Amino acid sequence: MLAISHVLQSINVNWYLVPMVAVISLCYSASQYELTDKILRVATKRFLYILAFMATAFAVLWFLSDGL
Amino acid sequence: MSSVPAPPQARHKPWEEANPIVSGLLAFLIPGAGHLYQGRVFKGLVYLICIHGAFFTGMCLGEGMAVHYKVPPNAQGFQKISLSYVAQVGAGAWALPAIWQARRVEAKENQRTYSLTAPLTSSFTGIVDGDGPGSDGLTGELVGTISLQPTEGPASRDVEGTFTGTRNGKPVELALAGGLDLDKPIGASPGRFLRIRVAHEPDAHPNLDLAVTGVIPRPVWNWYEVPPDTPQLQEITGRLGKYFELALVFTWIAGLLNILAVWDCVKGPSLGFGDETPGEPVPDEAAKVAVKPVAAVMAIEKGK
Repeated sequence: MLAISHVLQSINVNWYLVPMVAVISLCYSASQYELTDKILRVATKRFLYILAFMATAFAVLWFLSDGL
Repeated sequence: MSSVPAPPQARHKPWEEANPIVSGLLAFLIPGAGHLYQGRVFKGLVYLICIHGAFFTGMCLGEGMAVHYKVPPNAQGFQKISLSYVAQVGAGAWALPAIWQARRVEAKENQRTYSLTAPLTSSFTGIVDGDGPGSDGLTGELVGTISLQPTEGPASRDVEGTFTGTRNGKPVELALAGGLDLDKPIGASPGRFLRIRVAHEPDAHPNLDLAVTGVIPRPVWNWYEVPPDTPQLQEITGRLGKYFELALVFTWIAGLLNILAVWDCVKGPSLGFGDETPGEPVPDEAAKVAVKPVAAVMAIEKGK
């Protein structure tokens, strides 16, 4: 297990956002709907919305912290 | 020719057909298993892959220490409840051993030991180190097997044994004797600390003092979700920093998402099938509406 741990710890922490958001979007959408294509459509939308929100927040904070 | 989907009220609902206790329990214990039991393969696989993926990513990132149940000493009332573990326990069977491990680690027999009651043979990785004249060529990294057995000394019980393996990649056999320091059998890390002195060779300098220090592996059930002690926790949070926090977040998310999965397994999806038209009554209400005219006709016929 420690070998896997070391590989995971060598990845930049920001990259973990992508699978985390994908997992949350998929499971949350699956708990709301039953039909496969509806789940996938809603999950994709939600995934993109969350990433766009995070990217915006990142951009705002980056802009505000410029020159600090 | 395109197939017309059945109206929502006419569709079968697998969560109503299966035993809710069995499917709910399965969904809790193994995320996704309840849905697979009900025949909802796609959703079962989504929960199975996503929740297990999140949970074990967290476990690996945190070197196995992210999930544990630890009550702070002198905790009173609600302080005895670890909120971190409350979120993680939603992941079911994978998180439940933490409760049992919290008891095992506190057992009287789980002590650091300086002697042996039975022979011990195990793989070993570590170093041989020491000081004194002539120690330079004798130190280095060790990989191999360690065998120890108890012996009765003139005044007290002692330990002797051998290390067989490689030192800095070259084959070596070391005789070991005395000064054993062996970590608790049950602990939070996969490696169990071991230190023992190297036996003094008759032709070596009298001031030469060498010792073997390293780890022997613990069986999985002796470290999986065992609560780390405070220095271990400080060491890992200091060393891993935000990766340890990320590990906690992954395991919390896995546990919390499985609560949604269990709910979906027992009561069905919260917003329906997903192809209902806006304004249309929800499936249960539609069924009631459909039953009303039939009931009215039956009442009229009864009256006749």
